[in-house]
Amino acid sequence: MATPLLEVKDLTKHFYVGNGLLLSKLGKTVKAVERVSFTLQEGETLGLVGESGCGKSTTGRCINRLLEASSGDITFQGVNVLKLKTRALKQYRREVSFIFQDPYASLNPRMTFGEIMTEPLVIHGIGTRKERQERAKEMLKIVGLQPEHIHRYPHEFSGGQRQRVGIARSLMLRPKMIICDEPVSALDVSIQAQIINLLEELQEEFKLTYLFIAHDLAVVRHICDRVAVMYLGKIVEIGGWREVYNSPHHPYTQSLLSAVPVPDPGKQKQRSRIILQGDVPSPIDPPSGCRFHTRCPIAQPVCSREEPPLKSVGPGHQAACHFAASCPIPEDLSKVPCATDEEAFMGGAPHRP
Amino acid sequence: MSTDPGKLAESAALGLEGAAKLPTPAHHDEVVDKSRTLRGDAWRRLRKNKLAVAGLVWIVIIILIAVTAGLWVPRVLGDPTFIDTAKVATQSLNPPSHAHPFGTDTLGRDIASRVIYGARISLLVGVLAVAIMVVIGLIAGALAAYYGGWWDAVIMRTADIFFAFPWVLFAIILIAVLGKGFQNVFIAIGVLGWPSIARVFRSSILSVKQNEYVDAARSMGASTRRILFRHITPNSVSPIIVVATMSVGGAILTEAALSFLGMGVVPPTPSWGGMLSEARSYLFSAPWLMLYPGIAILTTVLAFVLLGDGLRDALDVKMKD
Amino acid sequence: MPPLLEVADLHMHFFTPDGVVKAVDGVSFSLEPGMTLAIVGESGSGKSVTALSIMRLVPEPPGKVVSGDIRFKGQSILALSAKEQRKLRGNRIAMIFQDPMTSLNPVYRVGKQIAEPLRIHKGASRKEAWDAAVELLTRVGIPRAAERARDYPHEFSGGMRQRVMIAMSLACGPDVLIADEPTTALDVTIQAQILELMQEIQARTESAIIMITHDLGVVADMADNVLVMYAGKPAEFGKASDVFYNPLHPYTWGLLHSNPRHDVEEKGKLVPIKGAPPSLIHLPEGCSFHPRCAYAREICRVVPPPLVDIADGHLSACHFSHEPEFLANAEYCFAGGR
Repeated sequence: MATPLLEVKDLTKHFYVGNGLLLSKLGKTVKAVERVSFTLQEGETLGLVGESGCGKSTTGRCINRLLEASSGDITFQGVNVLKLKTRALKQYRREVSFIFQDPYASLNPRMTFGEIMTEPLVIHGIGTRKERQERAKEMLKIVGLQPEHIHRYPHEFSGGQRQRVGIARSLMLRPKMIICDEPVSALDVSIQAQIINLLEELQEEFKLTYLFIAHDLAVVRHICDRVAVMYLGKIVEIGGWREVYNSPHHPYTQSLLSAVPVPDPGKQKQRSRIILQGDVPSPIDPPSGCRFHTRCPIAQPVCSREEPPLKSVGPGHQAACHFAASCPIPEDLSKVPCATDEEAFMGGAPHRP
Repeated sequence: MSTDPGKLAESAALGLEGAAKLPTPAHHDEVVDKSRTLRGDAWRRLRKNKLAVAGLVWIVIIILIAVTAGLWVPRVLGDPTFIDTAKVATQSLNPPSHAHPFGTDTLGRDIASRVIYGARISLLVGVLAVAIMVVIGLIAGALAAYYGGWWDAVIMRTADIFFAFPWVLFAIILIAVLGKGFQNVFIAIGVLGWPSIARVFRSSILSVKQNEYVDAARSMGASTRRILFRHITPNSVSPIIVVATMSVGGAILTEAALSFLGMGVVPPTPSWGGMLSEARSYLFSAPWLMLYPGIAILTTVLAFVLLGDGLRDALDVKMKD
Repeated sequence: MPPLLEVADLHMHFFTPDGVVKAVDGVSFSLEPGMTLAIVGESGSGKSVTALSIMRLVPEPPGKVVSGDIRFKGQSILALSAKEQRKLRGNRIAMIFQDPMTSLNPVYRVGKQIAEPLRIHKGASRKEAWDAAVELLTRVGIPRAAERARDYPHEFSGGMRQRVMIAMSLACGPDVLIADEPTTALDVTIQAQILELMQEIQARTESAIIMITHDLGVVADMADNVLVMYAGKPAEFGKASDVFYNPLHPYTWGLLHSNPRHDVEEKGKLVPIKGAPPSLIHLPEGCSFHPRCAYAREICRVVPPPLVDIADGHLSACHFSHEPEFLANAEYCFAGGR
């Protein structure tokens, strides 16, 4: 197996939420990402999927140093990313670029498309002014817009078009890897498919590696080779897309998959849904042991005591559950009754079926 | 989300033909509208606001009159400061007439000409004071917003202290220390007015900093300097335009107050506030002494406020985009 | 027996300085008790404005019902006075809004907000209304309801806030529940809870639900009937099974096939609908969808297609829907072939 392009080991990110009055470092810690590890091979697409607050975006931003990790190791092409200083960091930023979620906020409204797209080249001192313009025009064509638009401003265009420019911008420095942070979530449904296709085509044309962060399970499955499911700052399951989607081993993955409705009335009405109770616990005070145990339909006492490590459940497939082997969840547990048990509902003591 | 019905039809995004190789864009129904800049949009919106336009027009008129005053006022209306001792007895306290449209004051000077010259003082003080305010305020606000932490706390608490004190009182004290005179007036007003600019700039920066395009710039390796000058500042400046405009009105008012109290511009230089002070004893016997300077102050300050208001609406909506 | 709610050829336009926005342009449907109608569309399709029109919450000006009618139990809502409309709102016809963060008033306790419709419409006393509110909170699955009723909205999470909204809308036992993208802002596992709750409530109270959404999965889960809207006009209408399994309109087909699914065996190639939804001020001539349609022909550019009943209550607004096997080669056509 070749050396991975990106290797993340025990990445941890804690945010200190002080009370601001006297710069106090006392106060609470948001444990946004906790000892997350994975690798990314060149040319593949790894999906990071999970609901809000699971830490997927934070993980992405730590990798390109938009946020500073609290601890852990990130190695890109053998180089320790977290130790990079100014000049080397700038060079790293040529190799790893980022696509943002919001096409409205990720483009400076006072810059023309041309200025937005040539900015990476200007920052790195590449090409003459004319050459940069030419590259920008070419890139606009590649992402499906007209080259004349380099003189126009973002507010004159739709979300889908702006996102194309965001994508074009991320390609200007010919990066090796692109971190895509929810690139289609803010777009209209009929535009999403266009952008997904565009990303796939670009990957092939430019030999890119993607870290694809999203909450939409269907989109992730479509574009990714491998998928990592995150919950409350931890990876609970990771493997090839087929393995994770067709035989999920972690109860959270199963609940997630069963919760996403399928656009097929006959099928959807027949499906038995695993309804998780309550809300996601706060990352300031995550549950002891397995972070999922408070909402888990098959939780046992050990789950609140010991945190399960990622165990292999198949070739290239791992899950962090003490009972991963005994999945899928038996039918009679698949529908958990509506809560009158307040503690379980509020994310407190483990819920027994 | 995307299509805002209020926008012009955008050129249809080009479809990609679903092929494995690079797509050749197909051009569909490209409605290419006139290029709309943000500034153009804001200007159009401002034009629709009648009150703001009225304010702007009035300000332009006053500026024109004030600037050209030296050329025609002394000839047409009379010298604002020269006292013709010979004619004082007959000239003083004359009600408005053909020769003196606003009447004459206690020393026989033409009030209209004094009002016009007073405009020069007021406008100058207003603009210079705000210039000082803005320079100090921008620096303070930027430091507070950019460095945060200790800098932020110190600067903002200082601003709070300035806010807590009655402005005019502070000004009087400052002038008592610095001495009277035109220069010290606008310096005093400027030095005392920076907190409002600083506050607005700071919160504007903080909010702009949250935008993803700032993150995007960092992601591509932009230096802090570049981010500050190219991304944050241009987008943070709009609210300052509004506050500065309205502050000119405020500064003019403060100057008038100071002059009224005798702490401002020194006679015989005409100043609206000073003229009001002189008019105190003649409120009923010679109301024109108070009326015209009073109207001048009222309309000018109002004009700046209306313009500022209009600018705020015109610029704000754009920011929603 | 007149239908519970009937929308008849509604045209709601906005008169703005930039032009006339035909937000809703000819929408009709009817609703019976216990039924769920899903209105599907993207931004600018007019689905939300339709809902707001039923609730008479559209500001007029700049909005105006140019023609058409909305009838509740046979009686026209549009003809009612403002006072009489208020009697319906929140009482017989209730609405659940999209963003639970902003649709609850942050300065009032949650219990009070739920109690409000009861006090207004049922003349309940403060105590009676409060008790009823607590009971409603329990019914929507919020534990320790008596305590929680005294909390403020910011003390609840997104999913709980949406439950509070649902409780509020249920307070007076409405006949019609209009849900405007109630789960779009929520995580998918919370969405499942909310949809489950709504279906449970519907089973118990026989209320009719209008579910407005862009998510076809949610439609498949909830809807009996589906109305697909595009650029303010209805594109297709029919039973859920008809619309999903036998779409008659190219836009519907496009929507169904342009998004990835997680339940099919192999990964297919996505066939996107090219172009973007039009601006409602500058709508294309003829059929609004024609610039994006793989089947567009001359007539489509000129004549707007009428909404026609193609097969027993399955309606479509396309010139060619009646042709047998019309969309049989849709995958090929959408992908650029001819």
